[in-house]
Amino acid sequence: MSSKELLFEALKVGKTSRTPWVPFVGCHAGSLIGVSASEYLKSEENIINGLNEAIRRYKPDGIPVVFDLQIEAEALGCQLAWADDNPPAVISHPLSEGVSLSDLKIPDKNSGRIPIVLQATKKICKQYPDIAFYGLVTGPFTLALHLLGTDIFMQMLENPDYINDLMNFTGEVAKTMADYYIDAGCDVIALVDPMTSQIDPLSFQQFVTPQATRIFEHIRSKNKFSSFFVCGNAQQNIEAMCDCRPDNISIDENIPLDYVKSIALSKGVSFGGNMRLTLVLLMGTPEDAQREALECIELGGDTGYILSPGCDLPMHTPPENLEAVAQIVYDEYQRSVIKTLKEKPSNIETYDFKDYGKGDKVIVDVITLDSESCAPCQYMVEAVKKVTPYFEGLVEWREHTIKKMEGVSFMSSLMIRNIPTICIDGKIAFVSKIPPQNELIAAIQKRINEKFKQKIYSSHAEITLIHTEKDNIDEWKKVIEKAMIETGKFLKVNTTTDNQMFQKFMVTKTPAIIITKHTLKAEGELPSVEVIKEWLKTI
Amino acid sequence: MELLEQLLKCIEFGKVNKNAPYPPDMKGQDGAEELTQIALSNGISPQEILQNALIPGMERVGVKFRENKIFVPQVLMSAKAMHASMSFLKPYFSSGEVKRKGTFVIGTVAGDLHDIGKNLVSMIIEGNGWEVIDLGVDVKTDKFVDAIEKNPGCIVGLSALLTTTMPNMESTVRKIKELYPNTIVLVGGAPVNDDFRAKIGADFYSPDPQGAVDYLNKLVA
Repeated sequence: MSSKELLFEALKVGKTSRTPWVPFVGCHAGSLIGVSASEYLKSEENIINGLNEAIRRYKPDGIPVVFDLQIEAEALGCQLAWADDNPPAVISHPLSEGVSLSDLKIPDKNSGRIPIVLQATKKICKQYPDIAFYGLVTGPFTLALHLLGTDIFMQMLENPDYINDLMNFTGEVAKTMADYYIDAGCDVIALVDPMTSQIDPLSFQQFVTPQATRIFEHIRSKNKFSSFFVCGNAQQNIEAMCDCRPDNISIDENIPLDYVKSIALSKGVSFGGNMRLTLVLLMGTPEDAQREALECIELGGDTGYILSPGCDLPMHTPPENLEAVAQIVYDEYQRSVIKTLKEKPSNIETYDFKDYGKGDKVIVDVITLDSESCAPCQYMVEAVKKVTPYFEGLVEWREHTIKKMEGVSFMSSLMIRNIPTICIDGKIAFVSKIPPQNELIAAIQKRINEKFKQKIYSSHAEITLIHTEKDNIDEWKKVIEKAMIETGKFLKVNTTTDNQMFQKFMVTKTPAIIITKHTLKAEGELPSVEVIKEWLKTI
Repeated sequence: MELLEQLLKCIEFGKVNKNAPYPPDMKGQDGAEELTQIALSNGISPQEILQNALIPGMERVGVKFRENKIFVPQVLMSAKAMHASMSFLKPYFSSGEVKRKGTFVIGTVAGDLHDIGKNLVSMIIEGNGWEVIDLGVDVKTDKFVDAIEKNPGCIVGLSALLTTTMPNMESTVRKIKELYPNTIVLVGGAPVNDDFRAKIGADFYSPDPQGAVDYLNKLVA
């Protein structure tokens, strides 16, 4: 089943083998190719390059061609203020500045930036026949607000007939735009009407429902899928939105996903969205993004749910966060790891690993979900098991499963983030991928060599006996000799009567014993300040 | 006082004047305009009108908005009714006969052109008896600083709707706190939350206008 077919299955409220993933990439794609939002949204070439990059990195099942709710408004004469890192903003409202509704004409395919977007749509749809492309149409209420300004809110109540006429017009614009996108090759038309979050259900039914319903009906008659997007807290209108009979509704983080799920499914509508844009996708880590995605996937279920961000992705969303989401969409095993970790209590005990791996043997730790039930873990454990005999008792291996508290503590103590991971003497050596035998052997051998070297260098210590001419040091020498025999540590013993040595070690009484030790601490690679500070503390 | 009770209802439900078609179930009745004039000519003091009709009326609006019982259009209609009534009280404000609770300076931060949320906050706070100075949208730090200088003791509200303008909110707050450390700064807007408020050193965050009103009222209580 191709990506597109999988998505279609969800749109038909069918059961899907995995959750379809539709990242709402808009001007964010500009940041992927190093251009500003305005450069991106004004150029067919940039849009195509940006989408190529987004598709390569995020592996979507579906993706919008462009996310810009000002395209129609611009074509209808609204002035835009362009920004480097946001879609443009509408700054003039023709209907409140002397233009009358009857002067406005439905934009043709050559108005404003419409030709740029349609050309990009045609090319990208041809290039990726297996991905579903969403044509995003400005919803009738949001477009009406662009044209009239915030006056619309009061006029709805004071002058409802006028607003109905206006909505008829913006509805017609949306229907025409839907046709343009369908002709250009889009599989899904999304009516994006975020401003409806600001009105009550009665007003919604009075002004928005008639338009949205006929637009979705029209899209259905062309055998394409439709979606109704709303950003902002539109909880009050979810039911009314579903009653407009789109194939799908998509909502943002303001509305609880389980609430949307229960209403949408009861009305036979598929649903999606809800990943937190700012707090998680923009400001969080890849791990945060994965946990968020998993939560949505679990809550959304396997029937009719499409994983998406709540709304247009902020320009500077870290791409790693979205790649991390894609990773768990495709990797069931990663999902079960995150799930297991999530279920662990937060009061995890962490161990002090300062001296871990300082023993004679080399310790190889494999941190797994559970090598009996998870294939990648099993292979990793087997790989380790297989090479240890090669070292004839010098190497000891252990498995730590995160299904047990000990494993979780071990994992967090060593700051391990991925499962499975191999650690050699408490240092992360292999993450997620199972190392080929020769690489694993080489890594262990390297550690053995390091330890051997440390041993040799630790014997690079010497004893200096400081004395004056009149001291009898024979007894001192004998005692030192005896101690060396008993411990098996033989150091070179120097004797000196050098005055400078007295001063250097502030010796006030003689004889005196000084042990100097030379330790190799770093080689080739510059340690961090923190690490050197730790060394200094032990002196 | 039945007259003020009636005026309060006009504010609560957004009945501007007798001819206003909204709300349909109050068609043909006197609105905020008529009732305020009648009240004044009946000798009810402007302070009483403000205290017993406008403020409690807008309070109900703020609470219902917070509880998702009404939405932007209804709030705007109430604000329109409130303003209609207020226009008759204005002369008494300048003469000092009616006292307001304080001055609130509000604006959307630099680079941000969104004004719906900011306007709602502004109207609900004004309706609660504060003098509101609305600096508009895309307001640079200097403009806020000027307003604070001209209105000693004022409280400041900043709005941001974009994740990309949140840093501008931070720099404005920091500048205000540097120059006027005692000035109280409130922040709000869709991407803002209390963690962000704490991080940038502002004094208060509320997800809805009524929260800001409650906070302001506590300051002058």
